[in-house]
Amino acid sequence: MKREDTIEIRWHGRGGQGAVTSAELTALSAIHENKFAQAFPSFGPERRGAPVLAFNRISAEHAIRVRSSVIKPDIVVVLDPGLVTLINVVDGLKPGGWLIVNSTRSIDDLQSEFSGDWKLAVVDASSIARELLRVNIVNTTMLGALIKTTGVIKIDSLKEQLEVKFGARAKANLEACRKAFDTTVISSITTGGQKKVRTFAVENLAKWSELPVGCVVTDVGNTKQFCTGDWKAQHPVWNDSKCIKCGICSLFCPEFCISQQKDGYFRANEFYCKGCGICAQECWTQSITMVEEA
Amino acid sequence: MIAKRIGIESSLAVAEAVRLANVDVIAAYPITPQTHIVEGLAEMVANGHLDAEYIPVESEHSAMSSCLGASAVGARAFTATASQGLILMHEVLLVAASLRLPVVMAVTNRALSGPLNIWGDHSDVMIARDVGWIQIFAENGQQAFDQTLCAFRIAEHQDVLLPTIINIDGFHVSHVIEPMYFLDQKTVDEFLPPYRHPYALDPDKPVTMGGFAMPNLYTEGRKSLDTALRQSKKVILDTWKQYGDITGRYYKPIEKYQAENVDTLLVTVGSYSENAMDAIDKMQAEGKKVGLVSVRLWRPFPYKELIEAISGAANIIVLDRAISLGGPAPVCSEIRAALYSLKDRPQVVSIVGGLGGRDISPADFEKLIATGLDKIKSGDTAETIMFGVRE
Repeated sequence: MKREDTIEIRWHGRGGQGAVTSAELTALSAIHENKFAQAFPSFGPERRGAPVLAFNRISAEHAIRVRSSVIKPDIVVVLDPGLVTLINVVDGLKPGGWLIVNSTRSIDDLQSEFSGDWKLAVVDASSIARELLRVNIVNTTMLGALIKTTGVIKIDSLKEQLEVKFGARAKANLEACRKAFDTTVISSITTGGQKKVRTFAVENLAKWSELPVGCVVTDVGNTKQFCTGDWKAQHPVWNDSKCIKCGICSLFCPEFCISQQKDGYFRANEFYCKGCGICAQECWTQSITMVEEA
Repeated sequence: MIAKRIGIESSLAVAEAVRLANVDVIAAYPITPQTHIVEGLAEMVANGHLDAEYIPVESEHSAMSSCLGASAVGARAFTATASQGLILMHEVLLVAASLRLPVVMAVTNRALSGPLNIWGDHSDVMIARDVGWIQIFAENGQQAFDQTLCAFRIAEHQDVLLPTIINIDGFHVSHVIEPMYFLDQKTVDEFLPPYRHPYALDPDKPVTMGGFAMPNLYTEGRKSLDTALRQSKKVILDTWKQYGDITGRYYKPIEKYQAENVDTLLVTVGSYSENAMDAIDKMQAEGKKVGLVSVRLWRPFPYKELIEAISGAANIIVLDRAISLGGPAPVCSEIRAALYSLKDRPQVVSIVGGLGGRDISPADFEKLIATGLDKIKSGDTAETIMFGVRE
């Protein structure tokens, strides 16, 4: 059973965005403050871009014994802006809990996604990371928003952990963290608000007696139903005025999801495009730009 | 049916049963004491007496992998092994069971290293206890022949579809020439319908085999396999009944010998049961109330039949020909567990013996039973006795 004073955090990110590192740094900082803490990932097959989870438990008083997933978090941190519309990030979030989101959207706009008795914090961590770290990896930046809103760890203890983990790069990471601390906008959500209706994917799982002999998979080709497009943090945008219709983008696409349209120009099938950016890299005329998902 | 009485080595009788079963693929790696089975089969294939693919593989891991692949495309597949060879197969044994591929395998039971030893005991198959295969013991050459034929029918039954091991004691059965009766081809063909797998690999009807299951599905997958193995007992009993109706040789999950109205029951597994019978006869003639029970069906474990067979006795002496290093002997541990829920439990004493080919003669069995009874009289049955060890 969870002790009363334990704070539980669930991190939502995409493979490669550093959600696990966020959780690790949070736990290490708390342990450094002589608290009890744990950090762990959602164990499983990791794929760059696919939605992933990481978890923290922190207690000032009690050793932490529970090793289960966090299903009723006090704090939810969302590293990737696109996940808000893809996954029910507030699933199980406790009344009065914090929802901390990286997004370029305004706080008023984001409020309309949710209905519940929660506090909402928004920061444009992607812009901060690109500016100060020259890369769209927001894990350390989002720690600034976490510290500002919840104070669950101190920025000085984080500083030490950043130095251990990143060495010479700790300075820039700390700077990004501080900038997020300064620019995080805070509001609250209520149950009465106007909520956008979204349906999230629900897995239909078989009973043991419904499994075919040997657990064979009989609906062959079901990979086609698998929306790998959910993994992307960026999508390709073509500037047709620069395009020479050579098709090199479609040849290099590892998903084979770029095809030529009737007008001769190329487009990616967003259902499958993972946003890897190889097409933009390979395009001879640089007519493809990778644009962040909203 | 014309049943001709012949004398033949038990290993070759198993090969003959496999030939009569008209297998499609044999993949095997020779290992003592199993070699004569696959040599016999190789010769049949080479001479054109058996129209099968014989794959001489480079290891037992490959032998089982080849059988698994053959079974997956709908071919009837057979292999044989023993001891370290079975151990090397282990990874694939689990896959064959979980994919529900009815490979049939003869295991000529042999000790495990070390010290290195090529002679018989049950160490090899007891380590394979939990892999999901049906496991049956034969006690002599005739039973080895009979159970090999029954194994194909059981394994391939549409309600079962599970790989099956026939255990044959290394040397004490495998290398002994005995009189026995074979079946003719027509009888076998009627008894053993062609193998069909509902999801056999077919380019026109593709499936994925051996997929991966996350924590939200794995438990259901295991429950499904476990249930199939437990429920296979019905088909095993039906098959033995039908085989008995053809041959007059009826088999039971738990075999009893002079086991009614006795105070003490010896429980054995495998060919030493026949040695013990002579001891039982002699002791009963002397007025001792001692009987014998042997476990034929090891997996799925026949709890109901076992309890029915032994719960009336006051004293149970279990002989294991395998040692579970640092723990309770495997067969005895199963028997104690089966009895635990009963109100009036017999006393159970655990004896390990017959390791690495060490003989237990009928006279030795008399001593073994006396040793067990002394132990029960002493009131302390917690400890496993090692029989015949030089102190």
